[in-house]
Formats: sequence, structure tokens, C-alpha cells
Amino acid sequence: MSDALVRSGERKLDLVDLIGRFAPIIFLLLLCVGFAVIEPKFLNPLNLFNVMRQISITGLIAIGMTFVILTAGIDLSVGSLLAFAGLVGAAVAKGGFEDRFAVGASVAAGNPFWMAALAAIAVGIVGGLMQGLAITRLRVPPFVVTLGGLQAFRGAALLFSGGGPISGFDPSYTWWGQARVFDGNVPIPVFIFIGFAILAHFVLRRTKFGRHVYAVGGNPIAAELAGVRVRAVTTTVYVISGFFAGLAAFILSARLNSAEAVAGIGFELTVIAAVVIGGTSLFGGIGTIFGTVVGAMLIGVLTNGLVLLNVPSSVQMIVIGIILVLAVAFDLFVERRRQLRPSSIE
Amino acid sequence: MLRKLLAAVLAVGTMAVAHAPAATAQDLTIATSLPSLGFPFFVHMQKQLSEEAEALGGITLMEMDGQNSTPKQTADVEAAIIQGVDGIIISPLDAVAMGPALQQAVDAGIPVMTIDRSVQGVPGILAHVGADNVKGGEAQGRMIMEMFPDGAKVFNLQGQPGASPAIDRNAGVHNVLDAAGDKYEFIFEQTANFARDEGASVTEAGLAGLDSPPDVIVAANDDMALGAAVALKDAGVEIPIIGFDALPEALAAVRDGSLAGTVEQMPGGQSREAMRAMVAFLRDGKEPEAVTLLEPFVVTQDNIDKAERLSELE
Repeated sequence: MSDALVRSGERKLDLVDLIGRFAPIIFLLLLCVGFAVIEPKFLNPLNLFNVMRQISITGLIAIGMTFVILTAGIDLSVGSLLAFAGLVGAAVAKGGFEDRFAVGASVAAGNPFWMAALAAIAVGIVGGLMQGLAITRLRVPPFVVTLGGLQAFRGAALLFSGGGPISGFDPSYTWWGQARVFDGNVPIPVFIFIGFAILAHFVLRRTKFGRHVYAVGGNPIAAELAGVRVRAVTTTVYVISGFFAGLAAFILSARLNSAEAVAGIGFELTVIAAVVIGGTSLFGGIGTIFGTVVGAMLIGVLTNGLVLLNVPSSVQMIVIGIILVLAVAFDLFVERRRQLRPSSIE
Repeated sequence: MLRKLLAAVLAVGTMAVAHAPAATAQDLTIATSLPSLGFPFFVHMQKQLSEEAEALGGITLMEMDGQNSTPKQTADVEAAIIQGVDGIIISPLDAVAMGPALQQAVDAGIPVMTIDRSVQGVPGILAHVGADNVKGGEAQGRMIMEMFPDGAKVFNLQGQPGASPAIDRNAGVHNVLDAAGDKYEFIFEQTANFARDEGASVTEAGLAGLDSPPDVIVAANDDMALGAAVALKDAGVEIPIIGFDALPEALAAVRDGSLAGTVEQMPGGQSREAMRAMVAFLRDGKEPEAVTLLEPFVVTQDNIDKAERLSELE
């Protein structure tokens, strides 16, 4: 059952449905107001832009993950793929493994940043394509394929780099992670994140491919019968996820001036949490990019606010865990309400 | 409704937590950031930092946990800058990748001290207090040479691949033994990811795969060494094991003989030293030494009284 179909059914305003639709943004606003009242420094523009930059890396990956989860799939490999792609891009930027630890302006000229970015993205796309094909052609469940990817890409990253980091890029490279524009206010990664979020929203809402993604997640058999090329769509969403992992790898290495084999450990969990808190159903067919952006912001604001308030990190982890479960519980509650209503039965 | 309720509960909860320490007059706020409070080694450092701050008095600590993630530690440093702390004491997860965030702190005029691990490429760091992991690995290597002057077959349990202490400690052991010539041979080298269960399982597998047992097992941390000790006991093999970190449990094992030794890096001493130096700088303007390096040494039954955490055994 797709979101579009639900909306197309003429029906009366339902309060639970309405809250369900806007719960993440309502909660985000409440959280912001709460933190702002307790700790006014939270509203410092520098802090707000810091938070946006912090979420832009996992946020980019979450955009790709939204496509995957909309087809009722999952991609556990994103953190490992990010590490591998980042190292390949970094090696391209440095023109090899010589001077891999050299930091500062003395860095020998390797290749321009755009070649590094393309290399990282290419690794992401190829990694995603391999997994997509394994899922659609070998018919192995996504959870298993990408669990394999989580292991294999981490191994590839360690093998490729010999375990250590590749560090020290020229300013045109680090600009993509560290620069701020508009009077030194808005960090570049935030632009990239918001730009791709808008693009992805458009693709999902306004293109045939986007509608097919929802259809595959809603009911693959019905979609197949309706002429949707289910296997092609499914493969493509993993390629998209890989693309965003590669792009995020480039931005993260530019931000940190270093690509690490241990980068992105556990990212898959933060990313899936952002997507799910944002209202995308793990059963597929329901969800929006807007929701994912709000979900990523919610986790970012929560983490930032709790750190500013000097709450112990152990307590922070408990709070985020509880909110994740409550968010899904609430979504499932709203979903059951929808299914009970005769008007929404397809 | 659930979420609104939760928000209210959360707000009240955080308010209580946030306001509790502010009740007494505090003149300094110092942020501490360690790579991961999931490891006892760093928990010990955090505890020492807190106790020293308590003893000095008038200090509000902002205790932050890097959760083994450079982006998380970067975000914490950024939050500390926003919070306007008076100083930052940090053990960076990665020497290079933490550079940009710490540069921001320095640029914002906040004094930054590094402990245990240093940071690269950031001019303006106030001071570093640490013990070199490479030197610790070298101490392990020298102990092996003392125990086996005529050469030895070495079984090496390495730390988490890619983690800087794993790389440095391994490099230290190799520095010493590789330079000593062919008589020291690494007949088995595998990672056990700094974990005790893997220390046991990798050792079991390694022993089963070798034609003759090794002469000595060297591990990049105590957890793996203690795991190896379990595996050796099961297999009925008696060979010396050398750990790293001098955790209380490892000290107990050294005392009862199940470990031959462990490397003491005085993480608590580093932490207290750094806290004292930071507060002296902030309150009295006393410039600290740019670099204070404590020399790591191997703790055995003979010098166990020199171990920092021996008192925790009682």
C-alpha cells in the first residue's frame, strides 16, 4: 500500500493519521524548543550549522537507504563500503601510497579532487551493483547479502590500506568537507546534503522510477503484474545506496583530512534509525525523503543537545534507543489503524 | 501523544541532570574526551581525570565519550566549543582525523591538551602528556629477549586492525625482535580484535595449527592475553604470556603466575598530570611542558608494586 494510494482515497481527516504523518517534525520542534529553553547556547547559529554538518554525512547515506527500505530491503554494508570507497578516493588523490601520512601544505601533487570523488563514488556504485545483482539474480535476501557486504567491504578496506589511514589532502579536496560559505556560515556538506535530498525527493515523487520504488515495496507481485521491472528497480536502489555511500565517503574524508579503514563503523545503525524514525516503514512502500531528513536531524539534535547539557553518554545511548523503539511502535500503531479502515483497503 | 509525553519527561530529566552540578560555585569548566568509554582502559582514565578535578575543586567537568567514532568525537569537540569551556583535555581517536576539530578549538582560543595519544598537524596545542605505544611494544620485545636470549618462536595476538594502538604496539614488538635477527621468529600472527573471547578462540586455533607449540605469546592488550591464558589452560600447555595495559585483572594474573607480564603505561598518571597542568595554566597562567612522555615498562612479579592499579585488587 503506497503513500500515494492512501492519500488518493478521499476520506475524513483522522487525528491519529495526522499526528502519525507529522509526528517526527512535531517532536523535532519540541526537542529544539526544550533544548533552547534549558541551554540558550543551543540556538547559537554556529551550533545549529555544526549539527547540520554533523548529520550531513549519515544524512546522505540515509537518503540512499530510504530508497532501499522503500522496497522493503535493507543495506547493512554502507559503513564498510564508505570506508573502502573513502580509501580508494584518498589513494587516487595522493597519486598512490607514497606520502600517505603527509599532512599539510607540503603534500606532493597527486590527482585533482574530482578524480578522487569520482573514484570513491565509482567504488560505491560498483559495490551497490554487486549487492543488487546478488539480491535479484541469486535471490539471496538483502539482509544476508548486505551483511556479507558489511564484512567483505571492511576487509577490502583493511586489505587495500594495510590497516592504516591515508591522510593529508590539498585544500581543494578538504574544501568539500571544511569550507563554509555565506559569510563563513553555511558548511559545504550541508549544501550537498540538502541538494541531494531535494533531488531524491523529486525522483521519488515525480518520476516513473520513483513510483515503481513504492510499488515494489508495497506489493512486488502486484507491481510485477502491472508491468514494473521489479528486479531492475530493486538492483537500482542498491546502486543508489552505494552511490551515496561513496559520496559520503568523499565528504567525510575531506572533513577529517583523512580516510580511515575504521571509518563508518556502526553507521548503518545510525542511518537505519534516521530512516525509521522519519516514518519509513521497514516493510516497504511507505516513507518520504523529508521524513528521513527530519529523522536524521532528530538524532543529530538529540545527540548535540544532550552533549551540550553534559548528560553522560551512557544515558544518551539509552534515550536514543528508547526513542527509536517508540517511533517504530507509533508508526505500526498508525499503520494498523489505517488498515482497519475500509476506505484504505486496496 | 507518546512522543509529546516523552519529550516532557526528557526535558524534565535533562534539566535535573544539567542543573545538579551547577549548584555549587564553579570557576572552571573543562571538557574531557576519550576515544571510547566501552574499554576499561579509558574508563580508568576518565575516573582519574574526574577524581583529580574533584580534588582540585571548583571544576565542572564535561565528560564526553567518542564511542570509537571520529565523527562522534568531532561533534563532541564542536559542542564543547559552543558551550564555551575553559579547556579541553582529549585523547584523540585518530591522530590526523581529529586535527580539523581540534584546530577549531585552538582557533576559538580554547587551550587543548592531549593525553595518551597526540594529534598531528595542529599548531597551538598547549601540551601533550602521554606514553608512546610503540615504546610499550618495544618493552614487550625486550622482555622476550631477556627471557629467551638464545631466540624464541613468538605467537603474536594483534589488536583491532586499523586502530592506532594496535598498529603502534605491533610495530614496537617488531622493531625490537626484527632487529635482533633471525633467532626470533613470529610463527603465528593474527588479530583477536582486543577482545577476550577472540583471544581464547584465536589462540586455540593457532595452537591446533602449529606443529610445535610457541615459546612465548605476546598480546597487544590484557583482554587478549587473559583469553589466551584460558585457551592454554584448556590445552594443558604452559608458556609465558605477555599482556599490555596493566589492568587490575591482569595484575592479579601476573601475581598468580598465569601471565608473565603486562605493560604499564600509567594512563591514570597521565590523566592526573594533564588535569593538574591544565588547571595550573588556567588559574595561574603557568605554561606546562610542551611534551611530557612517561616511559612504559613491563610489570612482572618482581616489580608488581610499581603498577598503578595494584591497589584496586584489594
